[in-house]
Amino acid sequence: MKTSKLNIALLGNPNSGKSSLFNHLTGLRQHVSNFPGVTVDKKSGTIFLENGVEANIIDFPGTYSVYPNSSEEKIVINILTDKTNDNYPDLVVYVADATQLERHLLFATQIIDLGLPMIFVLNMIDLISEQGDILDIKPLEKYLGVKVIPVSVRNNEHLDSLTHEISAASQQIKGLEIPIKYVFTDVENFVATRIQKSLSTTSLYTAKVIAHHYKWLNHLDEDQKNKIKTITEQSAFNDLNLQVRETMDRYNHFAPVVRETIKVAKREKKSLTDKIDDIITHRFWGPIIFFAIMFLMFQSIYSWSSVPMDLIETGFAEIGNLLTNSLPAGWWTDLLVNGLLAGLGGVLVFVPQIAVLFLLISLLEESGYMSRAVYMFDIVMRKFGMNGRSMVALISSGACAIPAIMSTRTISDPKERLITILVSPLISCSARLPVYAVLVGFVVADTDVLGIFNMQGLVFMGLYLLGIVGALVSALVFKAILKSENNSFLMIELPNYKPPIWKNVFLTVKEKVTSFVVEAGKIIVLISIALWFLASYGPGNDLEEATTNAQNISIEKQLSDQDRDNLIASYKIEASYIGHLGQWIEPAIKPLGFDWKMGIAILTSFAAREVFVGTMATIYSIGSDNDEQTLRQKMASEKRPGTEINVYNPATSLSLLVFYVFAMQCMSTLAIVKRETNTWKWPIIQFIFMSVLAYVGSFIVYQLMT
Amino acid sequence: MTVQRTLLSLLPGESAFIDKLDVGISTCKLLNLGVLPKTKVTMVRKAPFGGAYYIKLDGHQLAVRTEEAATIILENQI
Repeated sequence: MKTSKLNIALLGNPNSGKSSLFNHLTGLRQHVSNFPGVTVDKKSGTIFLENGVEANIIDFPGTYSVYPNSSEEKIVINILTDKTNDNYPDLVVYVADATQLERHLLFATQIIDLGLPMIFVLNMIDLISEQGDILDIKPLEKYLGVKVIPVSVRNNEHLDSLTHEISAASQQIKGLEIPIKYVFTDVENFVATRIQKSLSTTSLYTAKVIAHHYKWLNHLDEDQKNKIKTITEQSAFNDLNLQVRETMDRYNHFAPVVRETIKVAKREKKSLTDKIDDIITHRFWGPIIFFAIMFLMFQSIYSWSSVPMDLIETGFAEIGNLLTNSLPAGWWTDLLVNGLLAGLGGVLVFVPQIAVLFLLISLLEESGYMSRAVYMFDIVMRKFGMNGRSMVALISSGACAIPAIMSTRTISDPKERLITILVSPLISCSARLPVYAVLVGFVVADTDVLGIFNMQGLVFMGLYLLGIVGALVSALVFKAILKSENNSFLMIELPNYKPPIWKNVFLTVKEKVTSFVVEAGKIIVLISIALWFLASYGPGNDLEEATTNAQNISIEKQLSDQDRDNLIASYKIEASYIGHLGQWIEPAIKPLGFDWKMGIAILTSFAAREVFVGTMATIYSIGSDNDEQTLRQKMASEKRPGTEINVYNPATSLSLLVFYVFAMQCMSTLAIVKRETNTWKWPIIQFIFMSVLAYVGSFIVYQLMT
Repeated sequence: MTVQRTLLSLLPGESAFIDKLDVGISTCKLLNLGVLPKTKVTMVRKAPFGGAYYIKLDGHQLAVRTEEAATIILENQI
């Protein structure tokens, strides 16, 4: 069903400045959703026309022509050939880059032939005058038969007249009929006429586009598809050749118009972009500069976000203490503080990292650097079934997999994007560091080798390398297993370098943060409440008995209040559901060298990996507020029951470390994978394959070392 | 019979005019990106790890893979 509100579509090629115009028109009155059934961003917003009427404006994915090469473009064509679609536009605002007018005219003339009313926005006219070219829109207007408005979104030029024209056009939408520009061949004419009759489409050109794409157009039913199949096959309708013929024919027709519209001045031999690219995409310096930029990005995520992250963590801890002390003790105070509040804190703590990463990524994206990275690393990443952009995601995963996975939206090939999402969490993130720090001392001593290397440092590096190798090998496996619908292409524009538009950067950061907090936040809070329940309750009166036991022991041993509370906490977690679960899985994790206490820590780590340290502290009854040093001493003195063997011997410790390298112990990552893939299927598969990897890896390490 | 010269025969810095495209799955996308017959194309450089080329057309730049570049047939005289 179509809503009564007017639908305005922003259409145009990638890099036309379409999204900047969208941000200008809607400002904060925009929101992001998905097109039905697919994970392609649908950005829509409200604009107010001059007569006070509200209109709905949709920023469609950038599209080159009605002959699509990506799943994003296919969505656009699906909608434009289906008048009954909710998103079918009443008016098209087409955005074209004036400096690339010829290429950008192709899709515009096709949209006009589809019978859609259009306003043609000629963007970036500031660059035209900068280059000394002379612009005259009359020939273009005459050729297109629609209103042409020259603007510069970047410099805010003529945007008022655009709003005025949109208002005027929206009032008299069903006006003039523009004759179809494309001259059909006999075959095309024959096929299109018959399809037009069969489907009763209004435009003959729409019928031709349907003839090309009927196989994947989702608004056609099987019966219609069969009819079209018969029609095209009978008349030897050659899909590929006719696409090429039409494209060439259109170019031939408007090439002279472009020459009349823009009188090109003599160019300097080397543009600024050429000079920058001589260095930045240099065969030797290019990759070095890339890794330098990535290193800076990685450092910034760490350093810029650590202060706000600490503030959020201590802030939530303070609020928790305040509530515990001021509210009457009871299960619901506990739920509020240790379930709900802890969950909220667990969501918000990621916000600084997400904000910093997207600030930097959108700067790289806006300036034009990102497509250079794609070009330089295409061959390398393609071997692993990924894309040049995956490189950026994988490196960001070294700080945190969540923003990294969110950044894969710009990878247009679904298979390459999926593989990147699936393997990113294998790169060791900052949450694994505390675990590594506690355990590494049990594997090797803090000694130097060859005078320069520190043994523990080497183990650290080995763990990071293990994660990287794990990610790349898994990528190879997924590359072989997963099927791809699209043909793989590189063919990417390397746009001229431009200073970023800050409004776009700001809106990207805001959108990413909101979507994480709202979409993934729901799941994270639910899981942390479930974990709270499992750790706070136990079967029967186990918990009460454990508390009494601990109290008796404390009286017997004359423990201080603090030590008594720690002992009670330790006994309670052992008696809780999660404690029982830990003991129940002990036979399964024994071959890895783990006991049930580690089992409990592994289970609670599902909330987040760093929880391992806190849980261990609770289990060894030293109180979770103590520092790592105390915990390490306690762990070091632990003996296996009835023996003199250290529990944290090198074999067990290394096995546990390898487990933490591979295991998917982060509910927030799973929540964001669910959000980004729009199904539970992939997070579940990811959880299983990473768990198997962790189990097998630890098994091998432990069995080899004992 | 003359041998067809493709984009791959250009050395960095060399230019030539495009004669036609070998029709295949990448043709339409190349046309969409302005890789058109009678257009001048310049080979700028090869990607750091190979497999792709940085090319320059009328006022804009593209990156293409080796197999994509192989479908771009050049005119014989420079």
